[in-house]
Order: sequence, then structure tokens, then C-alpha cells
Amino acid sequence: MTGPADHFSTIPAAVSLRGLTKRFGDRIAVGGLDLTVRAGELYALLGPNGAGKTTTLRMVAGLLPADEGTIEVFGIDARRDPIAAKRITAWLPDEPMLYDKLDPLEYLEFVAGLWSVAPEIAEERAVALLHTLGLWEHRFERCESFSRGMKQKVALAGALIHDPNLLMLDEPLTGLDAAIARQVKDLLMERVRAGAAIVLTTHILDVAERLADRIGIIHDGRLIAEGTLAELRQLAGQNHSTLEDVFLELTGQGPAGQGPAAQPTAIDA
Amino acid sequence: MRRDFTRFFTPGSFGWLIAQDLRLSLRRLQGMFGALKPRTASLILLAALIAFHGLAWPVAHWLGEDGDQRLFYPSLAAGVLFVLFWLVSQSLTGATRALYTRGDLDLLLASPLPPTHILGARAIAIAAEAMGAVAILVLPIANMNVLVNGWRWLTIYPTLLAGGLFATAIGIALALALIRLFGPRRTRVVSQVVATCVGAAFVLSLQVLNLFPEETRENIIAAIERSEPGLFNRHGLLWLPVRAAAGDLQALIFWFALAVGLFALTCLIMGRAFTTSAVQSAGLGAARTKPRAIRFRAQRGRILRHKEWRLIARDPWLLSQLLLQVIYTLPVALIIWRSLGTQSAAAVSVAPAIVVIASQLSASLAWITISSEDAPEFLASAPVTRAEIEWRKLEAVALPLGLFLALPLIGLAFVSPSAALWAVVFAICAASSTALLNLWHPMPGRRAMVMRRHSQSKLIGMMEHLLSLLWAVAMVLTGLGSVFACLPIGLALAVLWFNRPSRATA
Ligand SMILES: Nc1ncnc2c1ncn2[C@@H]1O[C@H](COP(=O)(O)OP(=O)(O)O)[C@@H](O)[C@H]1O
Ligand SMILES: [Mg+2]
Repeated sequence: MTGPADHFSTIPAAVSLRGLTKRFGDRIAVGGLDLTVRAGELYALLGPNGAGKTTTLRMVAGLLPADEGTIEVFGIDARRDPIAAKRITAWLPDEPMLYDKLDPLEYLEFVAGLWSVAPEIAEERAVALLHTLGLWEHRFERCESFSRGMKQKVALAGALIHDPNLLMLDEPLTGLDAAIARQVKDLLMERVRAGAAIVLTTHILDVAERLADRIGIIHDGRLIAEGTLAELRQLAGQNHSTLEDVFLELTGQGPAGQGPAAQPTAIDA
Repeated sequence: MRRDFTRFFTPGSFGWLIAQDLRLSLRRLQGMFGALKPRTASLILLAALIAFHGLAWPVAHWLGEDGDQRLFYPSLAAGVLFVLFWLVSQSLTGATRALYTRGDLDLLLASPLPPTHILGARAIAIAAEAMGAVAILVLPIANMNVLVNGWRWLTIYPTLLAGGLFATAIGIALALALIRLFGPRRTRVVSQVVATCVGAAFVLSLQVLNLFPEETRENIIAAIERSEPGLFNRHGLLWLPVRAAAGDLQALIFWFALAVGLFALTCLIMGRAFTTSAVQSAGLGAARTKPRAIRFRAQRGRILRHKEWRLIARDPWLLSQLLLQVIYTLPVALIIWRSLGTQSAAAVSVAPAIVVIASQLSASLAWITISSEDAPEFLASAPVTRAEIEWRKLEAVALPLGLFLALPLIGLAFVSPSAALWAVVFAICAASSTALLNLWHPMPGRRAMVMRRHSQSKLIGMMEHLLSLLWAVAMVLTGLGSVFACLPIGLALAVLWFNRPSRATA
């Protein structure tokens, strides 16, 4: 479903970050990040541990106040009107946050209530999501007994039950087994086709390579490269074929060891 | 942790198993002191020991020459009974935990070690933990008695040791019986409640005894004096631990043999039952909720409140802790009521107790809902203001509190309507003030820590108790019709004012 790069300019921006900055003391976790993701696009934020992926997502989700910069979600200034932005956004943390003593249905009812989804619609969606994610059998079991993968799926169902326009997923596939990962991927693809925008972070190259329409490589809180897989390959040079090579090359860990690119290199801008 | 005493034993031997289990107990003890350094923790322990020895001094004098000798055996018997109840309560909790906590027990049961060894070692650790908790209060009394009344009081040490083994045997048997009776799923809840009740039962029954007419109590004391046949015959088998504690060597030997025998027998007989029960409770998985039609609610406020109630109601440990908080407040009220005797005394005895319970319960519940929220960040990502969420949480606190206090308040209204009315007013003030304190100064922590939540911020803990005290004093003074009631009320409001959230952090 990826169109050529020049098509994007006509599609509205789902999320647009300008000069987003976050410092923790002296440490700059995110330094002047510029990023645009459009509706109907799955964008992968790829970077090593500590690159600033989680911090970026948490700022967009309204959990962490940004120090500088602007965040726009479908035209809403998220720093000015966080509630309006949150209404159309879902955030999935890297560690699933559930209530151990609730069962999946009760959890989904709670989430639907928080986002003020009409009960009839929420019930219908809950049933569908539990079936799709293979949780139907477990709908009356308390979450405390669930494996990590199951918890992740319940949390994902919670993120999808209010039908958000923007999904911010922090490492959604980490720790999932192949079968579950497949279900989750299908579900995400379906959302994208329906016009939602998805930003997911990952440090696993394979995930970005297979799922994403566009990939942004983040390193030390800065975007050092961005584009489709083909474009990134091109950028890194002819003799590199896999994304891994590209990634290592760009983050300065490659065999050539030339250090990271000094300036963010946006290819499709 | 350097003190690894397991290396003195051959791996796989019984001694090695015991050392292994005792090491886990020690870790749990260290866990109780939270983030404190071992040195600080030992200093606190030492200070507590010195304080308890100081408190034990008058007790020792009273048990010796100074006291009423007629009361010697009745009070010693009460003490021994109290300690035994307490030990059983502790060991029942320990046994249940051993059965339900997954982890090392799975590993042990999968190993080729004999089940009797596994249960034996675990039982010794349970007994050690139970005795440790009791010893810190009981042994200072023994030590002071040795100083004041002579060497024979040293027999409390072996008496307590035997008591620990005896109570552990009962605790383990009780836990296994409960599993038989209620099935592994419900036993966790049931045994928590039973342990709480057993622990508090004695304190309460003593109070009930206090409510009996003077005559009845005199009769009981006289019966013990004369050693009439039956329950009060202090040469009978039932009084064995009492005589052992009093320094009767023959009784001590019998008591010790009895306890060790019972303990060994329990481990031998119950080894297999323990193993199967542990395996059963492992295969449990989580509790299921009731299958039902899918019907979501519409109103956000209701959904937010329901979530809090569900989380509290489904946590037996939490409930038993809350219950305990209430139970321990009651004897004080009963003592005051008795000592004053008249009906108008209700205003100065029961009413303040209600106020104290209101403030303490409210503080606990507010802490549970606000500070130990499981998914605070998830809530923050929802399109709901923080103020609304906090308000809903406070609403969720108010209802169970109101329901709980309704019964004693209605009871009080029959005795003294005006006292009941004032109790309602002050209970609302007290509950609101401690809830607000918890809202303004959250102390994040896990739910299970509810009774130890103040280890994070001693200051807030003190403020909480101060508020509760001030409102109770205000209630007493109002009940006495004194205008000085304004004083504690003003002080309480001042405490709240100084703890208001600063603009910067809000
Ligand atoms: N709450 C915090 N306090 C201090 N430093 C933080 C905090 N959160 C993140 N950081 C720092 O910010 C940097 C980026 O972290 P993060 O966004 O979690 O990286 P990623 O998700 O890409 O692995 C790291 O160096 C991390 O140590
Ligand atoms: Mg991260």
C-alpha cells in the first residue's frame, strides 16, 4: 500500500514533530527531532537501546512534557490541547500495563470507558478483537496468570478498542512468539489500510524491514536517516544489501566505522 | 549477602535444605526493611529491643513480688495463650505462602529429594519466622524477669521454641485441612482471613472477658487457685505450656517432647499431602471471573469507580490487612467504654474509635487507589484529566468507607443520637483529611505494602496519625461539651494547610 514518496505530500500529516527536544539533566535524550508520519502509513523508528525512541513516543502520548518543539496530531497541537490529541491516539508501552485482577473483558470495558466509546460499539469491537487475537477462550480469566505475550495482546486490544487514528507502539513485537507476532502484524496492517497511522519503535531490524512503509533511524536522540528500505540501502552504498548493514553503517558501528552521519539525511524530503 | 551457611552441609542433605530455607527467610526479613542499609536496619532492631526491654521492666516487677499473686497464673496463662494464638496465625500465613508461592518449591518438588525432607525444612523455616516475630516482644519480658525474679524464668526460651514447633504443626495441618475443605482456589483467601481472625481473636476475647461482670471473673480466678478438676485445673495437661513458662522443669520437658513429637509427626504424615497440595495450587492458574453476558457500562465515572472496587475486592491480602486495622482499634474503645461504664460515655469511647477507624481506613484506601495504581502511565495517556481520575478514586474510597461505618454509627445512634451525629461529622472530616493528604503526597508502592507504606515517607505517616488523633480528640472534647474542641480542629486544619500541594508541583 506504499505509494511513491511524492504521493505523501497530498495526504494529511497524522503526526508532525518539529524540533522536539527532551533533556534529562545534562543528558539530551531527544535533540531537535523533526518527523512527519502520514495517515495510512506505518512508520518504524529504528535505533539501538537508549537512542530516545521511548522518550519520543512518551512525549507524543502526552506522558512526558517536552522541553522544546511542537507536536501536532492530525492538526491538533498536542502540547496545547493534550486531551483532544489523546482522544484519537493510542499508546502501547513496551511493558504491558494491565490490571492483574481484571479479566480481559473488564479491562477492555475500562479502556473503552476512558475513551468514552459507546458501549454497544465497544462490546462489538471487544468480541472481535478477542477472537482475532486468540484471547476469546481466556476472556474470563484474570490477567495475572497470563504470559507476557498474552498480556501484550490484551494491551494491544485495549489500544485498538477505541479505534484510534494514531497508534504509538513501543516495541510491540518484542518477546512475542512467531505465531502471535504474525497475528499482531496482520492486525496492524489492517488498521493502516483503514487509514490509521502507526508509529512503532523497534531495535529489531527484521521487524522494520518487513512491516514498515518508511523507516527512520534514530541515534542519540537525532534522526540520522529516513526513507523506504530501498532508499536507505541506496544511501548506505551499493555494496550493502541488508538493512542491518545499512543500520550499522549509519550508526557508526559498521565495519567501515566511519561514524554516524553528522546531519539528518532525509531522503524523501 | 555473604552469610551463606548452606556451604557447611552436603548438598541435598536435610541440613542443607534447612539452611537453604532459612536463607530465604532471612532475605524476606531483610526485605521488610526495604531500602535501608543492613547497618541502619540492625540499629533500628537494636533500638526496638532496648525499648521493649524497658517496657518489660514493670511487667517483670508486676509478675514478681509486687503484683497480686492470685493473678499470677491467670495472667501467665493469658500470655501463653496469646503467644500460641499469635504463633498459629503466623505459621498458617507462612504455610499458605509456602504452598502458593511458586518458584523454588516447584524446583524442589521436581528434584529427587524426599517430600518429608522438603516439608520438614520448609516447616522449620516457617517456625523460625513465626518465632522470630513473637520473640522480639516475648523475650525481653523473659530477660527482665530473669533480672528481677530469678533464673527459672530462662525456661521461657525453650518454652517459646517448643511453642513455635507446636504452633507450626497446627498451622500446617490447618492450611492443608483448609485446602481439603475449600479447594485450592478459595483457600488462599480463606486462610488469610482465618489467620487474621486467629491473630486477633485472642485480643478480642480478652476484651469480651473484660465485659463480664466482676463476679464471673472472680470465680474463674478462684477456680484456677483451687485447681478444680476440668478446664481450670492448672495441674492438667492443658496447662502444660503455662507451667513450663513458669519454670516447672518437668512440665518443660513434657511440653518440649510433645511439641517436637507433634512437629515431627506432622512432617512425616503430611509430607505427601503437602506435595500434592502444592502441585495442585500450582496447576491452578489464575482465578476466573464469573462467565457472563458481555454488557459494557456507559458512564465513565461508574467504570472508573468499579475498577477500583474490583481491584480491592479481589485482593484477599489487602482485605485482611484492612480488617486487621479495624480489629485492633476496637479493644481500645471497649476498654474506655468499660472504664466509664455509663451510656453517655459512648460519645467519648465508641465515637472517637469510629473517627479513628474512618481516618485510618480512608488513608489506606486512598493510598491503595492513588499511590498503588497499577497503570498510572496508561491512565495518563487517556483523554481524561488527572483531576477527574483523582476525583473518581476518592469517590471510590468513600462508598466502602461509608458502608463499613454505617453499622457502628447506627448502633451508636440508638445509644446516643447526638454522639452519632457528631461522629458522622468528625468521621467525614477525618476521612477527608487523610485522603487528601494521600492525594497531595502520593507514595508509590505495591498494594501488598499497604501497611508498610510509610517506610517511604515517615513524615507523611506521622502527619496521617496526627490528623487521625486530632480529629479523635476533637470528637472526645465535643462529646464532653467542651469549647476546647476548637483547638484540635484548628490544629488539624493547620496541618492540612501546611501539607497542601505547592503550586510548582501541582
Ligand atoms: N526518566 C528518565 N530519567 C533520566 N533519563 C532517562 C529517563 N528516561 C530515559 N532516559 C534516558 O534517555 C535516553 C533515551 O532513552 P529511551 O527513550 O528509553 O531509549 P530507547 O527507547 O530508544 O531505548 C537514555 O539515555 C535514557 O537513559
Ligand atoms: Mg525503549
